[in-house]
Amino acid sequence: MRKSRATAAIGLSVVTGLALSACAGGASDGTVTLQMVESLTNPARTEVLKSLIADFEAENPKITVELISPPTDQADQKITQMLQSGSGVDVLEVRDITVGPFSTNGWLDDMSGELEDWAGWDDLTDNATKYAKGEDGKVYYVPYGFYGLSLFYRTDLVKDAGFDGPPASWEDLLEQASAIQDPSKNQFGYAFRGGTNANSNVVAAIEAYVADDLDTENAFKLKNGDTIFSAPEALDALNTYFDIFAEASPPSSVAWGYPEMVEGFSNGSTAFLLQDPEVIATVEQSEAITAEQWSTAPLLTGPTGKAAQPMATAGWGTAASSEHKAEAAKLIEFLSEDKQATTFAQENSLVPIVKSAAESDFYKTGPWASYVTMNENPDTYLSVTQPRGSSWWTEWIQKSDSEIQQVLIGQLTPEQLLEGWDEYWTEKWKSE
Amino acid sequence: MTTTTDEAGRGQQLATPTPPAGPSRTAGGHRRRTFTVRRGFGLLGFLAPAFIFVAIFIYYPMIAGSQMAFRNWNLANLTDTSWVGFGNFLAVFADPAFGKVVLNTVVWVVASIVPQFVIGFGIALWLRRKFRFRGLYQAMIFFPWAISGFLIGILFRWMFNSEFGVINDLLQKVGLIDTPIPWLADPNTAMFAVIVANVWYGVTFFAIMILAALQSVPEDLFEAAALDGAGKARMLFQITIPYIRTTLALTVLLRVIWIFNFPDIIYGMTGGGPANQTHILTTWMIATTQRGDYGRASAIGLIVVAILLVFTAFYLLSMREKKVKA
Repeated sequence: MRKSRATAAIGLSVVTGLALSACAGGASDGTVTLQMVESLTNPARTEVLKSLIADFEAENPKITVELISPPTDQADQKITQMLQSGSGVDVLEVRDITVGPFSTNGWLDDMSGELEDWAGWDDLTDNATKYAKGEDGKVYYVPYGFYGLSLFYRTDLVKDAGFDGPPASWEDLLEQASAIQDPSKNQFGYAFRGGTNANSNVVAAIEAYVADDLDTENAFKLKNGDTIFSAPEALDALNTYFDIFAEASPPSSVAWGYPEMVEGFSNGSTAFLLQDPEVIATVEQSEAITAEQWSTAPLLTGPTGKAAQPMATAGWGTAASSEHKAEAAKLIEFLSEDKQATTFAQENSLVPIVKSAAESDFYKTGPWASYVTMNENPDTYLSVTQPRGSSWWTEWIQKSDSEIQQVLIGQLTPEQLLEGWDEYWTEKWKSE
Repeated sequence: MTTTTDEAGRGQQLATPTPPAGPSRTAGGHRRRTFTVRRGFGLLGFLAPAFIFVAIFIYYPMIAGSQMAFRNWNLANLTDTSWVGFGNFLAVFADPAFGKVVLNTVVWVVASIVPQFVIGFGIALWLRRKFRFRGLYQAMIFFPWAISGFLIGILFRWMFNSEFGVINDLLQKVGLIDTPIPWLADPNTAMFAVIVANVWYGVTFFAIMILAALQSVPEDLFEAAALDGAGKARMLFQITIPYIRTTLALTVLLRVIWIFNFPDIIYGMTGGGPANQTHILTTWMIATTQRGDYGRASAIGLIVVAILLVFTAFYLLSMREKKVKA
């Protein structure tokens, strides 16, 4: 009796130990299970991804893909933990802001070998190829699409306020949004971004004001090597931008992040919104405003008559610790091919990575027309690269967001803000 | 190996004595099992899974996390994770936000716990009386405790939204305010708003704990007091509260620790903003991890542990002194 109890106890311990290590099991019949984890998760997107994966599995019966979809807010942290532990992930969503730290830490596989003979390279747009093959030719990820800013606006409100068309410049926006603003009717001009990622729009405004001297390869720099924040035009940009807040935005937008901005435009209380194309799908579902009441316009220009479009992107990469790199590359190739890439970009309202999709009618009509305008006028709408891959990018986001709020609540002046930012980037570049 | 067998053999010999020795029998006549090495191994075997789990999932991460506090541990670049001594702690103390964050933490804990305690106590007293549908009321009142703090944060973030939120709408309808208040955009009202959300959430816990304690107070005490002519207030302060004092003390202690460590609502509602004005130590720690600086975040974590240890020690000591005096 006692003996069997002792055996049972030991057995229990062993089973527990085994259960703990069970996650790392492998298959013996030649089938491979790929663990894939996404970052910018949303339910609709996950569905699209799952259907594409099902197609892939049907074509490759020996490969199974397990998709992990953590909530967006925590996704990059989860991915970081997985990569740090060195197991449990084969294919992952790599963003332009995570590729820097992930590759510095040696967590990403350079896929240039696996993808060397891939036929799909020729179908990619120039931008997609540029981002896939980094400066040193290493392929840490293949983008699945691009995010780019355009101005969502209310056609009816603009017309009622007596304007012929949407604002083309930041100054126009200030004028039109102020004319439309009427807090007593809960009608506001601009869906101002004061909360998370407030820095993105502030920087877009500054870049438009210094566009003539802008280093397009590092859009935080002027051609002379100084930071864009040191230019006198940067202060003009900030003054206009903060006037838009003071005169033409909801007072509570100090704390507005993505959800509030999109809600503000979708429920009809703000007339203008600067956002990525993915918002097209959301606004189309709005019950408060009809399709005739809104459209998009190209990104706002500065006094230079130019705007700088900061391209943001993300894509699929392979973990350096993966034991199934060939299969992972196969999945990434599949997702990046013409048909699948087009489906993914269209369903998620992204600027596509393949040439054929960029030329299709889908991207020439309705709210997408402004993207065509921007693509067709590259001298007006400069496509620029921001230093989003810097290892201090997330630190910068936190610092700049918080300081913008300090300006909004009167704890800091725009001059102090610019001075601090200029100092910050100059120091960082020096220490590189 | 030999030793083990020997010990096991001896164990077997010791474990099977035919006449039970005197001390093996308890007063109640139950046979107390003699401790043997074999039995020890058996016990150890059964306890091992729990020990292993706790060691792997609690102590290992704690120790691993703590050592990060003394290293240059930044996720953006893990190629250099050298030891920096107390560098991270000094950086935390030197941060201009530190003072404000500590002050916010104190305000957050005190301003949350006092109303939670008072309202929770009131609800518990009210729920102790027998009335129709008491069970239903209890379930409804305890419901918030089942919701995730982060979700509550998001819900209140929308409720406190200046333009689309229900709170401003109601206040305007009853005529208390003329123009909407931008609750989360102003540092002072933002702190107030997150505390309101926390009070709503935490009242429940006090109600549950105090109600359970109240049910242990014997009814005859009240009956005797009533015969002696004691009023309701006197019964409350001289019977009820002294009787459940230990539960009250422990509940308050637990809640202080939890609220101190409870970033969910603030994180969901303001993310520590505007301009870092609603950060408490734990939301500040999260924000620090988000920019990849796990070294400094770990240091903040250890500072939190230290503060809570000191607080707990003082609190328990003062409670013990009171008990001795009582």
